[in-house]
Amino acid sequence: MRIEPIRAAGGRSAHIRHDDDLISAKGVSVVMARQLVLSNIDLAIPKGSFVSLIGPSGCGKSTLLKVLAGLVEPTSGSVSIAGLSPVEAARKRMIGLVFQDANLLPWKNAVDNASMLLGIADRSLSRAQLKARGQEMLDLVGLGDSAHKRPHELSGGMRQRVAIARALALDPAVLLMDEPFGALDAITRDSMGQSLLEIWQRTGKTIVLVTHSIDEAIHLSRHVHVLGIKPGRITESLDIGLPYPRDLSVTEDPEFVRLVVQLRTMLRASHQPGGAS
Amino acid sequence: MSDQPVTDFSESRFASSWSAATGSWLPAVILLLATIAAWEAVVRIFAISAFIIPAPSEIAQSLVANWATLMQATLVTAGEILFGFLVSVVVGIAIALVIVRFDWLGRALYPLVVLFQNVPKVALAPIFILWFGYGLAPKIGLILVIAFFPVTLSMLAGMQAVDRSLLSLMNSVGASQTQILFRIRVPHSLPNLMAGTKIAATLSVIGAIVGEFAGASDGLGYVIQFASTQLDTALVFAALLLVSVLGIAFYYAAEILERIVVPWAPKFSRA
Repeated sequence: MRIEPIRAAGGRSAHIRHDDDLISAKGVSVVMARQLVLSNIDLAIPKGSFVSLIGPSGCGKSTLLKVLAGLVEPTSGSVSIAGLSPVEAARKRMIGLVFQDANLLPWKNAVDNASMLLGIADRSLSRAQLKARGQEMLDLVGLGDSAHKRPHELSGGMRQRVAIARALALDPAVLLMDEPFGALDAITRDSMGQSLLEIWQRTGKTIVLVTHSIDEAIHLSRHVHVLGIKPGRITESLDIGLPYPRDLSVTEDPEFVRLVVQLRTMLRASHQPGGAS
Repeated sequence: MSDQPVTDFSESRFASSWSAATGSWLPAVILLLATIAAWEAVVRIFAISAFIIPAPSEIAQSLVANWATLMQATLVTAGEILFGFLVSVVVGIAIALVIVRFDWLGRALYPLVVLFQNVPKVALAPIFILWFGYGLAPKIGLILVIAFFPVTLSMLAGMQAVDRSLLSLMNSVGASQTQILFRIRVPHSLPNLMAGTKIAATLSVIGAIVGEFAGASDGLGYVIQFASTQLDTALVFAALLLVSVLGIAFYYAAEILERIVVPWAPKFSRA
């Protein structure tokens, strides 16, 4: 297995900007229904990295992801993705989205679902080209032999794999994932996480993952940002120094256990509303 | 890998649904036959006059004796139902599409459609006769006003029930409203639409018969009215039987159509 494509992990803080940051958010605040959902978020996501956003319910981590995706306009502050606004970046197919619900079209089989967004984004592609691309992506997510199955013939984990294939078919620079494994059972979740790591290492995509799971965040990411509530803000950032490639045995590593304890302590603190972090 | 596909038990499912079907049909058939037998017995024992309640055997005799007339009338009524039903479905779909696609027009149209739904449309039959005469047109018009609404409403419900995050996905790649409408909303609405279509099929039968009551020179509704003025109650029942058969036939035709149009809408999935 290849080591990560971009570069080795370094002890970097999220708040220090580098030239090779793919995504940078500066002073992003979001007000919704007169509530301050996100307050003054500064975030830098290096190209090719795997970053998790973790925090209690209501901390605005999903909203932050939507801001990065261009689906929510920040009330103040700015977001740049390789120098473009999120909406521009999305139009240039630089953003792949995966949500908790796979949202496959029940009338299309797996391969057509996988190429569906690409077909919308690029109308010049022929049906054959779309099918080929869909098949290629299904192969990548390990569903190559289920191409002709309809969503109702697939398990929850397999549907989510198709959703990942659909996002990857756009060949995006960044994969934004909002609790993609949140509805899956623990065992499926572990294997999906492991598959995602392998896909990340093979494709070199930048991945931003919103999750509730401490184990998942540490198992997968290089950087974890902890968000606090009232208002939603980044309270802590943690670099995960565990070497890649990682597999599930990493969860038995003493360093993993230490990081779990550390992240749990940070999360507990993030449940306290207020300004101090 | 833990995420295994949902195993397909289609054969055994078919077998069990078959036995379930015969199991659920059998008591109903027995009860029906028993009711007919009791009906026959009561009419004979108490010598009830045939123009009040004809015995099943008399209805059957009337059916045979008037077979040619009744078949001719059935054909006329079936034609009205089919034509009216198709017009209702087309108009119903068109209204739903306009409401969803053109926001301001939808906001103008939808309340009016709902308002119109509350007009007792059976009462429009005499006006339609006045406007369109005694032929096919007033029946089609009446079926249309009675049957388009469930089509429109069910399709609207289906088109508006599209998951928001799916729309987010479409928006993020710059999909146009027309693309979202025809690639996502319309196919998504088909299971709902087919449910509405089945209701429309049933309502179309009612519309045709009411239209014929109001003024016609042919059709089963006309036969029912004419026979009741002649106190030929057996013929009324014979025609009624054929109307019911038509209703059942149209309902199941709509159900078969549903299976053809939305084979992907499984009854047990979408967990």
